[in-house]
Amino acid sequence: MIINKFVVARIPKVHCFLFPFFLFFLISYSLSSFGQTAEAEKNFTQCKACHTIGGGRLVGPDLKGVTSKYPQSWLIKFIQNSQNLIKSGDKNAVKVFNEYNKIPMPSHNLTDAQVKDILLYIKNGGKLPAGVSVKKAPIKTAVATTQQVNQEDRYFEQQRKGSRNLTISAIVFGILLLLSIFDLLFSHYLKSKWIHYVIILSALWILGEWSWDFTTGLGRQQNYQPDQPIWFSHKVHAGQNQINCQYCHFTVETSMHAGIPPASVCMNCHSQVKEGKRTGKKEIAKIYAAIKEKKPIQWVKVDNLPDFVYFNHSQHVKVGKINCTECHGDVAKMDQVAEVHELSMGWCLDCHRKHKVQFRSNKFYAEYKKLHEELRAGKIDKVTVKMIGGEDCAKCHY
Amino acid sequence: MEKKYWQSLEIYDEIVKNSVSNKESMPEFSIDGLDETEIKGKSSRRDFLKMMGFSVGAVALVSSCQMPVRKAIPLLNRPQELIPGVPNYYATTFFDGDEYCSILVKTRESRPIKIEGNDLSQISQRGTSAKVQASVLNLYDDVRLKGPVKGGNQNNWKTIDAEIKGKLEILKNDDKEVVLMTSTIISPTTRKLIDEFVIAYPNVKWIQYDSLPMSAMRKANKINFEKDTIPYYHFENADVMVGFNADFLGTWLMPVTFSKQFSKGRKLKDGQTKMSRLYQFETNMSLTGSNADYRYQIKPSEEASVLLKLYNILAEKTGNVVYNTTEVKTDVSKVAKDLLNSKGKSLVVSGTNDTKIQLMVNAINSLLDNYGKTIDLNTAVNLKQGVESDIMLAISGMQSGKVGGVLFYNVNPVYDCVHKDKLTKALKNLPLKVSFATTMDETALLCDYVCPDNNYLESWNDAEPINGFYSFTQPTIRPIFDTRQFQESLLRWMDSDQSFSDYLEKNWEAIFFPKQKTFNSFDKFWFKCKKDGVYNIASEEQSQPVFKGGKLKAEKPKIGALELALYENISIGTGRYSNNPWLQEMPDPVTTATWDNYVTVSPAFAKAQGLQQEDVVKINDSLELPVLIQPGQTEETIGIALGYGRSNAGKVGDGVGKNVYGLINISTGLKNLLGTPVTLEKTSKTYSLALTQTHHVMEGRPIVRETVLSSFIKDPTSGNEEHVKFLKDENFSLYPDPKFNAFQWGLSVDLNSCTGCSNCVISCQAENNVAVVGKDQVKLGRIMQWIRIDRYYSEMSDNPEVFHMPVMCLQCDNAPCENVCPVAALSHSDEGLSQVTYNRCIGTRYCMNNCPYKVRRFNWYEFVNNNKFDYNLNSDLGKLVLNPDVTVRQRGVVEKCNSCEQRIQEKKLLAKSENRELRDGEILTACQQNCPTDAIQFGNLLDKGSNVSRTNDTGRMYHLLESLHTLPSQSYLTKVRNKKA
Repeated sequence: MIINKFVVARIPKVHCFLFPFFLFFLISYSLSSFGQTAEAEKNFTQCKACHTIGGGRLVGPDLKGVTSKYPQSWLIKFIQNSQNLIKSGDKNAVKVFNEYNKIPMPSHNLTDAQVKDILLYIKNGGKLPAGVSVKKAPIKTAVATTQQVNQEDRYFEQQRKGSRNLTISAIVFGILLLLSIFDLLFSHYLKSKWIHYVIILSALWILGEWSWDFTTGLGRQQNYQPDQPIWFSHKVHAGQNQINCQYCHFTVETSMHAGIPPASVCMNCHSQVKEGKRTGKKEIAKIYAAIKEKKPIQWVKVDNLPDFVYFNHSQHVKVGKINCTECHGDVAKMDQVAEVHELSMGWCLDCHRKHKVQFRSNKFYAEYKKLHEELRAGKIDKVTVKMIGGEDCAKCHY
Repeated sequence: MEKKYWQSLEIYDEIVKNSVSNKESMPEFSIDGLDETEIKGKSSRRDFLKMMGFSVGAVALVSSCQMPVRKAIPLLNRPQELIPGVPNYYATTFFDGDEYCSILVKTRESRPIKIEGNDLSQISQRGTSAKVQASVLNLYDDVRLKGPVKGGNQNNWKTIDAEIKGKLEILKNDDKEVVLMTSTIISPTTRKLIDEFVIAYPNVKWIQYDSLPMSAMRKANKINFEKDTIPYYHFENADVMVGFNADFLGTWLMPVTFSKQFSKGRKLKDGQTKMSRLYQFETNMSLTGSNADYRYQIKPSEEASVLLKLYNILAEKTGNVVYNTTEVKTDVSKVAKDLLNSKGKSLVVSGTNDTKIQLMVNAINSLLDNYGKTIDLNTAVNLKQGVESDIMLAISGMQSGKVGGVLFYNVNPVYDCVHKDKLTKALKNLPLKVSFATTMDETALLCDYVCPDNNYLESWNDAEPINGFYSFTQPTIRPIFDTRQFQESLLRWMDSDQSFSDYLEKNWEAIFFPKQKTFNSFDKFWFKCKKDGVYNIASEEQSQPVFKGGKLKAEKPKIGALELALYENISIGTGRYSNNPWLQEMPDPVTTATWDNYVTVSPAFAKAQGLQQEDVVKINDSLELPVLIQPGQTEETIGIALGYGRSNAGKVGDGVGKNVYGLINISTGLKNLLGTPVTLEKTSKTYSLALTQTHHVMEGRPIVRETVLSSFIKDPTSGNEEHVKFLKDENFSLYPDPKFNAFQWGLSVDLNSCTGCSNCVISCQAENNVAVVGKDQVKLGRIMQWIRIDRYYSEMSDNPEVFHMPVMCLQCDNAPCENVCPVAALSHSDEGLSQVTYNRCIGTRYCMNNCPYKVRRFNWYEFVNNNKFDYNLNSDLGKLVLNPDVTVRQRGVVEKCNSCEQRIQEKKLLAKSENRELRDGEILTACQQNCPTDAIQFGNLLDKGSNVSRTNDTGRMYHLLESLHTLPSQSYLTKVRNKKA
């Protein structure tokens, strides 16, 4: 077994930063052209968590007119890494920082061009100019309607029902099996023996299927939907507010763990947003309590893998460019997150067999010369994970 | 002529009798130690029913169980540099009072789990030793004190500080001396702090105490050069090296540095054909001796005469004064000739702590013009500053009542001082006794107060092991317990609220920062120092001091008397780490013994005395130890390792072996390990030793291959003719040809560089969560370490040639283990690795049977949370050292080396996420990374330009048992000895 629980961290006294601030990783796609692009709107979704354009003060200042208030070069510096600017003693930066309750703005991994792009977007009042269209937002914009919620629920309900039906029929057939054997041997109620045989055979079939289903399911938790210590809704955060997954799960591209956000990340917004529409003050107050009592929030892990499996998020999300939803389902529609897939080895391998590797775009794969040749020659049309060793045991078990 | 290789004396005897039979060699596994029922193997019908009922019950239980609820607990406030799942490395310094090493510490989720060498250090050069590797486990030792102790009970710092300060004040006013006894301190800032402490309390007298000092060398240099220093050696510049009882590759002064230097002069890479030569004169078979080209056996009392004889020949040839000496039988003319031929490129060292001998060594080096070339007197080594007379003075002061208090820091004299009885008695009546020990050791037990020091991985410090070369210690974890650094305790008692980290920083800002010109701000400078872990201040070239000789005199060698040669072994050393199970279970590279010390005797002596291996003998009518017959041991001498027989080390180290510090020779006033006259008497008892020697016998097939330098120059494939033959032969195989897409991982071990130091064994153990099994299991051949270092002897049994050969899984492409697995738990990866899937293994052990190299290990027991194996895996604290990337194996599962698959995957992922190709040499296996001789290379065999391919591309490469056509990916390079054919 791997002992991989998160150790309650002791903070090394090595590089002491005055303010713990948080890296904020973004998928930064290259710009297709200069000037304002559709990407600006996408990038601005990060900003929306704390800012509005003309909608008044939120966690951070209203951004309307910010482009004329400060020089562009200063804005770029501040957006990329506000703490550096504050530390260097820049008067404007310190002023803004103090004015907004000393909540550090997370540093953003944006290029100069991307920031300029966003600034243009802000200047336009948060609208895209004509002709530029949104290609595809990482999370589908969806105002959650009651109907959709029901759909989600129905999905899980169906799954549960499916297994329940099988159990019921297994019990029924089990009884039938016993009855027919009894009748066959002792009571002889039914005269034609072929009925017994049909019943026995079909009962064995059903029982076999049920036990297969049961035993392979041992240790699996599909549809597992535990109650969390805080009634936190992904539907509200990721769905309605469209906060990017990586705003909270910010280590997904750098680490094997996607990362459960520290309470301080919650505080980026919830230092201002103190009341929820559905839960009132009760749930949000639990964050404040955790910080006050210095007791980390004990979330319940939903997607569990056995200890002898090594799984790395960054391998899949950053290198494999797999969308979070492929394994975790459409979290943006779930109030309480559930395990959507069975997370079995067969399920992993199915994907490894089908999924294409970023073979041409990632220079790492240049080493696979033979496969490149075959691709060029047209002998194969794609390189799947399986073809580069994705079925090897020791890729995940060591 | 074909050489006969042998591993144990029994086998040797059989070779001599010309009747070596495979049948009689030791069985791989014996049934000794098994339960009666296990041996009988009977199981009745009732047992069957019981098992049946149990299984049904278990299934019912499992099916009714819920999956456990697992929590994911994030940090409240994440420090910026901490990303869960991503290791952080901190550069810091290992210094325990004896050994220095600059290291990088790998931390996961803020806990240190692995030590790597620091490649920026010019001293340790990315090398480490087994002790350094194992030191991370000391951090998680249950025996560590959890807080300050007063009179045996835990107390708080406030009370203890107040009381100690009060007592110090009283002693100051009474004008009673307080002895501050520390180990050698190489930290300039700590030295400054101690000086300030002495100013605050002028009655404090600071002395440095080493368990094994090198004061004779300092004295000799004082006489010859007026410099009370230990010089820095350059073994890499020497063509001819002569060692006298100096185990410089194993334990003497700076073994890691010297191993690096030594191996540099002996690499036969990229067409190089020059190789240095090592002559070793010694009593015990040491690691250095086992690597010598020519080895001579001398008795301790003969050393002076042999040295003088050598001096006389050299002096005669160079026209210098010759001194009278007693004739000894050892022939040194060849050595003398060789030394003269490489004047200025030679080096003579002696590890004997005897001024007379050190004076001779100096005289010889001076005759050979070595100063300034292979010996640098201007770059002083600051290790081993202890002087024996200091502790004598202190003890007599305590006895007379002049001394009123004593503070012990990082020393344990009650255990390892020759005068420990006097000291124990003198301590009784002292008003103030304070220890800074991290555990309740023998000395701390006698103290009123114990103010536990932090582990070095929780501390701030600096170090100056060699003049001008600085090194930094920074914490890699917050103190786990309520402990406080020694330095901070001193600061508190000086009424200062400053933390030692501030003190250190201020000191560097004031003293060292102005000396450099590269950085204009101190913050940047300090950041750089902490980041690199090392900082060098270039010293100006000075001419070496002039040699002033004197008369040399050697006493007559004793004849007929039995002489004792104590030694420090490579794992336990001075006994500081007795409670470290990794080190206790590390086989000694020469004797392959674990978990004990013993008396080594020569085969001839054993025969004459009628001694058998494991017979218990009585030394000086008091000490009972088992006998180990050691080929190469000098006639009429015996050897015993120090560092054993601790009584207060902790549950692992207590009562292991016997304490022999009392047998140190102090006839000259200095602590000399050699030459105590002893008596030896056979008893009727026997005591079994846990040797790894006769497991894994390879049935007399050609395993190690060797040649001599002259033949190698003529033909690089000399000694490796079998490989040439193998390549010429047509080999048919029923297996399909192995196919690889992009990578075929290969590892090569250069037998010419490997010294057998066993650093890789512990490095692998730490990296791969390898369990400790204890002495009883080792005896049954169930040691779990994934690398074993086979030791073979050849030639004569009284002075054999020795081979060290690390064997890990060879990752065969036609792996015999894989196709016998009934459950397909073993498979071959498309990168050439033989994979084990632990969760699939059902423990039939067919694979172990079918592996010709015997590299697979079986988990006979559950080693985690099992009170029968009460080592680090049985404690919550000890488990923090586990590498979270590697599965901890459970009972009934076979495991083996997997070429550090986790490291391969990590670096591949890094390259992918940085969108670049994988660089050669980027992946370092745990055994390779810190190897002090760079004997191991790892890389992609498909890339002809890779380091490992180029290393293999010499005539020296061969595979182990290649005639079996298992096609291993791991290869070996022939050993080349620099001696006459």
